Amino acid sequence: MSALTAVRHTAGSPLSVLALTVAALLLAPLLYVVTLALSVDPAVWQRLWATRIPELLTNTAWLAAGTALGTCLLGLSLAWIVVRYEFPGRQIWEWALVLPLAMPTYVLAYVYAHLASLGGPLDDLWQHFAGPQSHLPSPQSLGGTTLVMTLATFPFVYLLTRVALLNYNVSFDEVARSCNASRLRRLFGVTLPLLRPAIVAGLSLVILYVVSDFGAVSLLRFQTLTYAVYQQMTGRYDTTAAGALSLLLVIFALLFFAAERWFRQRSRFYQSSGRFRTWDRCRCGTGGTTLILLYLGLVLGAAFLVPAGLLVEWSLSAIAQHAVDQRFWGFAGNSMMLSGLAATVAVLLGTPLASLASRKPSRVNLFCLQAAYAGYVVPGPVGALALLVLCLHFAPWWYGTAVVVVLAYVIHFLPAGLQSLEPAFQQINPNIEEAARSLGLNAWQALRRVTLPLIKNGFLAAWVLMFLQSMKELPATLLLRPVGFDTLAVRVWLEASEEYYQLAAPAALLIVLLALPALWLLVARDWRASMRT
Amino acid sequence: MNQYRFHNLATMLAFCACLVVGAAVPAAEPDTLVVYSGRAERLIKPVLDAFQASSGIRVELLSSGTTELVNRLRAEGSRTPADVFITNDAGSLERARELKLLQPGNLSDVDRAIPAPYRAADNSWIGLSGRLWVIVYNKNLAKPSDVASLLDLAEPKWKDKIAIPNAGSEYLQAGVSVMKVVHGEARIKQFLQGLKTNAGAQIYGKSSQIVEAVAKGQVVLGIVNHYYIYRHLGTTPDAPIALLVPDQQEGKMGAILNVAGVGITAQTRHLDAAKRLVAFLASEAGQKQFADLNKEYPLRPDVTADPALPDREQLRIAAVPLTRLSELREPAMALIESVGLR
Repeated sequence: MSALTAVRHTAGSPLSVLALTVAALLLAPLLYVVTLALSVDPAVWQRLWATRIPELLTNTAWLAAGTALGTCLLGLSLAWIVVRYEFPGRQIWEWALVLPLAMPTYVLAYVYAHLASLGGPLDDLWQHFAGPQSHLPSPQSLGGTTLVMTLATFPFVYLLTRVALLNYNVSFDEVARSCNASRLRRLFGVTLPLLRPAIVAGLSLVILYVVSDFGAVSLLRFQTLTYAVYQQMTGRYDTTAAGALSLLLVIFALLFFAAERWFRQRSRFYQSSGRFRTWDRCRCGTGGTTLILLYLGLVLGAAFLVPAGLLVEWSLSAIAQHAVDQRFWGFAGNSMMLSGLAATVAVLLGTPLASLASRKPSRVNLFCLQAAYAGYVVPGPVGALALLVLCLHFAPWWYGTAVVVVLAYVIHFLPAGLQSLEPAFQQINPNIEEAARSLGLNAWQALRRVTLPLIKNGFLAAWVLMFLQSMKELPATLLLRPVGFDTLAVRVWLEASEEYYQLAAPAALLIVLLALPALWLLVARDWRASMRT
Repeated sequence: MNQYRFHNLATMLAFCACLVVGAAVPAAEPDTLVVYSGRAERLIKPVLDAFQASSGIRVELLSSGTTELVNRLRAEGSRTPADVFITNDAGSLERARELKLLQPGNLSDVDRAIPAPYRAADNSWIGLSGRLWVIVYNKNLAKPSDVASLLDLAEPKWKDKIAIPNAGSEYLQAGVSVMKVVHGEARIKQFLQGLKTNAGAQIYGKSSQIVEAVAKGQVVLGIVNHYYIYRHLGTTPDAPIALLVPDQQEGKMGAILNVAGVGITAQTRHLDAAKRLVAFLASEAGQKQFADLNKEYPLRPDVTADPALPDREQLRIAAVPLTRLSELREPAMALIESVGLR
């Protein structure tokens, strides 16, 4: 046993070096932000405290909390319905509920700003029922922004909880039942605690997404920290105030992470024996079926079908104006290439971090993993500026190339990928691998024949998530793209920010369409996994 | 089956590695003119296309925010690929000149074509078209006689009835800069407080959204650049909106005029081509196309503006030199933020 440990130890050290290098790379923008913030004149801090900071902090916190609650309710209930109940078209619904992930928040935000604003179609409809004096609450508010963010991000919670429910071992529930535990007791005492890792992982994705979102909050004019940073960056020559606000954002996120880690460390479960059974699906009556279908239809309609329909309509009129030409397809190619590259590089870089942290949770390895999360909390525009300055300083030959954009994506979205990579490694009971080694496989064979097949789905999920997010990324792409190298997201933004919404629609629609095969890949894997059991 | 998949994965990784190497090769060709533009792409690309067609010089365009581009030029320093900087705000152009991002020009034709008030002292930048900061009003809800001056918008009777741009708007910053010179800081602070109270939540990032809010009757008045009104009327001709040029009476400040302009970067490696582009933009044909694309005023006196616009000759313009907009900007921004506008 001790010999085995020694072998593993030496095999691990080059990996540790790699992990440390990656961590240093990922930490660099954060360090830049901190340096920038520390150099801020006290007068600037004073001005910010007096005019902006209290409002920004409360707005950001409320939006994050509201969206977390909303996505938790939606994601859990939807996952529960598709796993526990049988109803017409269940398999299609199960798949379709992931579709909103393909819809960028800025598109959803604009669509709702158009639909629900004064004189918009939804407002007209409302007046039809509630009288001409009555108006819908404005979408440009905390409530409206929370709704848009919830609709855009609930699939994170849905996806992860659904997989957890599918892998849920009913034996636990049965044991509880045999002890005469009530239904509610079983739910809160057994089911939810077992689902907690998945829920927490989903919610932390959601919260990070919301806190660092720029597109939706800017279109809905809701003042959050990230939006304020962008305003300071683009409206001023002096970027120190942006640095100061970024530091707050970073502190906010670090507190959040400390809480999330704490939660997760208290809930690590292994499948202990070979007996594994999942739930049988309940069939429901006509009333139940109708209710379920209404609920699913409402959610999917609001989060995907209506916005997508509007995009199609606008796109058709844009095509009639000859807005879709050869240039347009070049932008599509750029988007695909950048996102594909970013996702691949991020998986390669994230693997040593995730495996070391979950297999050998030494202080250094855990630090490396935490460092990776730095990227998500440095807001897009500030991360981009940091990268620009660092790149000009240390790697000028990369300057003005796509490499910098890819690097920005990797730094920004690796945390999203790690959320899938990490559980993939955590699920593997280390005993399995040790058993393989004791049966005579060498380290490489054990990796290839035991570990990789087990973590494959986690890898794929990570790749797809990062691909999708890179495709939608806006502020860093705007600031770092090489000359003449626009992406679809940039096109949407350039057209939409000049209010040419119809002309923005084809690029937005294409982002959605390109995301669909990636989503399909994600879901199809899950699907097969669930069919096998 | 699993092994097969992993071969696929390996192939994909190798392919991506090739792409990384490919992407590292600089994109811009040596004989291409690179233009950084803070002006909306739709308003500049047709002109650049026309230049490309007539001169045979290839133009690559990078469109972004004005201040963002100044920041980018500064961060890039001597490595910038940009040859020409085009933007919509004289203050930003002047700022770029002060940061030595632009090079002094020696363009005798252009000098003669564009009047001196619309150029930098050393011709580092040259104005191309003029835009007025005006009031848009809803014809069903207000009469033109209701408002004479921008200052009137701060009166309590307009509570919850006006829409204004946010603090990041270069137009608002330029407008406040000029008003502060004319009326003094105390008066303008009071004015901004009134604006903030009256606008409430109606503070927009985009002028087109302000025009739309006025057209829908969400608010009665808004402050925007004049062409946004024509743009809205272009898509919805029966919208109940009209333009009002403020501060025109005897003894009043006059309307606030800003210019879109162009400068050649200090680091350009294509000086001749860049000069040809500037000369093209200042030529009669270039001026007409540049201005008319967005219904702005051409700055060449011998080129006529779109007939739909208020007559230039009849307008009273505020007498604060454009070149001062840069030095006035930081204090104006501080003032805007001090009243809590954002």
